[in-house]
Amino acid sequence: MRYLYGALLAIALSTGPALAHHGWSGYDSGKTMNLTGTIREAGYEHPHGYVKLEVPGKTWFVVLAPPSRMENRGLQRDALTPGKSATVVGYPNRADPNELRAERITLDGKTTELR
Amino acid sequence: MIHNPQGAAWLVWLESSAVAVAMRQWLWLYPAVEVLHIAGIAALVGGAVMFDLRLLGVSRGLPVAALAAHLLTWSRVGLGLMAISGALMFTAHATEWAENPAFRVKMLLIIAAGLNAWAFHRWPFRSVARWDREVPTPPRARVAAVLSIALWLSVITCGRLLAYL
Repeated sequence: MRYLYGALLAIALSTGPALAHHGWSGYDSGKTMNLTGTIREAGYEHPHGYVKLEVPGKTWFVVLAPPSRMENRGLQRDALTPGKSATVVGYPNRADPNELRAERITLDGKTTELR
Repeated sequence: MIHNPQGAAWLVWLESSAVAVAMRQWLWLYPAVEVLHIAGIAALVGGAVMFDLRLLGVSRGLPVAALAAHLLTWSRVGLGLMAISGALMFTAHATEWAENPAFRVKMLLIIAAGLNAWAFHRWPFRSVARWDREVPTPPRARVAAVLSIALWLSVITCGRLLAYL
């Protein structure tokens, strides 16, 4: 068993940080960010929707809510269209400087809570 | 809608398949598959741990062979549910999961748990007639029980962690 756990630990440590965006604990809620930009890519997808939001000087990967929750709150699939303007309020990922988890998103003047 | 997975060819193929697209896009498919996955682990780990506790000396009046026939059958059903639902969830983000350290560790732990169950049936369980009821179980059976509990709890831990790492 000692060897097994050693091997498992080695594998766990040998791989770099992977993409993941579920819990809120990986995001720094002490640094609330308010971004307005243009949607360059959107996914109304499980387990979480996302937009790639271009703001001056940077493109953020913005993690949204599961599509079932967004639909339930009136944020339809076709609201997330590339080219549209969007405002998000959220928190940056502690490990990935390009990722943000959105607390709410405003599209066409309509704000949807995502948590 | 652009989805452009990067990685090994077979993972990209899997992630671009119709099943993977449905998993990502259909509103209620992913949550439904998650329900199956949780039901599967309840049956699998529930059955296995109840059996392991008997091996460790809890409820010695219950016959081990009959418990194995009952509980471990449902554990196998649970394993089947987990494999099917797990494979469906894997396809949805195959390239991402394959790189996830918690996912890799989880797969190794499942193999280890399987080998442990196989070894238990191959060796100590053969003599179950001699310790079926009211007598202490052999040390090797107890070791298998402790390993089983530890491994399955670790599998659950990795399953949760892979959403956070």
